[in-house]
Amino acid sequence: MIRVLIADDEAPARGKLERWVAEQPDMQVAGYAEDGLAAAQGIEQLHPDVALLDIQMPGLSGLEVAAQLEESSAPLIVFVTAFDEHAVKAFELNAVDYLLKPYDKDRLLRALQRVRERLGGGEGRSAAVAMARAQTASSERLLVPDGERLQLIDTTSIEWLEADDNYVHVHTAARRYLLRRTLQDLLLQLGGERFVRIHKSAAVNLSAIAALTPLFKGDYEIELRNGRGLRLSRRYRDVLFARMGR
Amino acid sequence: MALFWLWGLFWLLMITTAVQDALRNPAISWWEPVLWEGTSALAASCWLLLAMRARERYAQYLERPLIWFGHHLRWLPLIVPTFIVAVYAVRHGVYGLAGRPYPHPPWLWVFIYETLKLVLFASLWLGILFGFDSYAQWQSQRRRLLEVQKALSEAQLARLQGQLRPHFFFNALNTISALMHVDVARADRLVAGLGDLLHISLRSGEQEMTPLREELRSLELYAQIMQERFRDRVTLNWYADPAILDTPVPALLLQPLLENAFRHGVERSTVAVHIDVTARAEGHSLSVVVSNTGSSLAADYREGVGLRNCRERLSIIYGAGAALRVQDEGGAVAARVLIPLAGGKR
Repeated sequence: MIRVLIADDEAPARGKLERWVAEQPDMQVAGYAEDGLAAAQGIEQLHPDVALLDIQMPGLSGLEVAAQLEESSAPLIVFVTAFDEHAVKAFELNAVDYLLKPYDKDRLLRALQRVRERLGGGEGRSAAVAMARAQTASSERLLVPDGERLQLIDTTSIEWLEADDNYVHVHTAARRYLLRRTLQDLLLQLGGERFVRIHKSAAVNLSAIAALTPLFKGDYEIELRNGRGLRLSRRYRDVLFARMGR
Repeated sequence: MALFWLWGLFWLLMITTAVQDALRNPAISWWEPVLWEGTSALAASCWLLLAMRARERYAQYLERPLIWFGHHLRWLPLIVPTFIVAVYAVRHGVYGLAGRPYPHPPWLWVFIYETLKLVLFASLWLGILFGFDSYAQWQSQRRRLLEVQKALSEAQLARLQGQLRPHFFFNALNTISALMHVDVARADRLVAGLGDLLHISLRSGEQEMTPLREELRSLELYAQIMQERFRDRVTLNWYADPAILDTPVPALLLQPLLENAFRHGVERSTVAVHIDVTARAEGHSLSVVVSNTGSSLAADYREGVGLRNCRERLSIIYGAGAALRVQDEGGAVAARVLIPLAGGKR
């Protein structure tokens, strides 16, 4: 069964998608979302195979939701929108699936057929996420779990990132969040402007660094503004120095 | 430029025919006609240059030819004697150098004859100049007219687009196509409402003012469609003082205000939003307020195209007599339009 999440803030629009998706013998509606945060939460908890994301939603837009997903584990995304020349151009350029409102049954079925064909491969998902990241300010805001809920935090408030298997601890001055993402994917989203890797399993916010002290064998000790010490591996030393302008 | 070529050609022809005449007449040597025509050409060229210098200044009279000719011709009493004196002085001088007398009729006769010739000649060339200038003016006017027409239609189009966004139409159509499967009667009503709204929007291009009653009706049509889309997320409250329903207001002026209430209030909020539309008389003004809960003005708030168009239209129609204010008011954002009750300044 292909499990589908439907996210649209308008009840009639959700109803229309549900009617035809539920008709498909190999598909099943896994859940609904009425706004962007609920859509992100639904994807996180229900792990649908496919997400039909309306672009204009309160809280987070469909594009912003997609930008916060992990490239490799994201569901296959079909964006749904009424009128957004800019986004549609980007969809076309990146071969990302989309549906223009108003659509008829034929057009939706064609989109669903494409989804079936794409489900095997991985490039479809990563293209949608990468495009959504390029279209939104996804390096400025990060969606993190806060108890049962999800919330957006300002990425300038993040001091450093610590990988832990397939999880990442996000350290801010106030607290720590646990994200089920790889460090590599998270750094792809946050971009190279603000965060730099310091060893295999950690990255640091450049503006959180207070001092650097040389250790043995070319390693360094990084002191953060909050007093915490981190190790800088010599493998990542040159990149960090270049970024800091030394 | 073309005028100078014509001028040169004309004098070349004059000199050539005069020389050919002279060649058949043994009493006259070849240089004599060249001197006669040459001095005339020189003096006439001076006049033409002066006339060309004045053409900018007289261009404003091109639409009234008699006045234009009058302005050019009034210089003739000064030009004619100067011309005759200059031309005959040069001819006498050259003949004198050649040691021969310059034979010509008595002075009075010369004066009358040359004056007549000059008036005819000047009129002919002014006619040509007039032709050139008015053609150029006609062309530039036509170009300007085309430009103005283009700008006007673009402005009109922009206004139409600003009034009802394509986004609204596509979403409305999608809502209708969803409703069709559930409630045909309601879908039908929405199609009719959308049609009415489209009619009003198309008509607003030619009919600028509409009674407040009609304007409120178009707002209701819009709200009806939006309410169908956002069902339990929005409630609306309407109040209009019956005494002012006939007041003329610019058509679709209030549309952007309600659109903003939906766009920034309802569409961005996950909780239910309340929208209030109130129209009443306030002193000598008609006051219309559209307010919505669920949003507040950002610190770096900047007006969008809709409000800017609205403001621009108000100032074109009413001058300083009308006002548009958007502000936070007790947990809601309120857009307030004040229009003089006595009507516009036109």
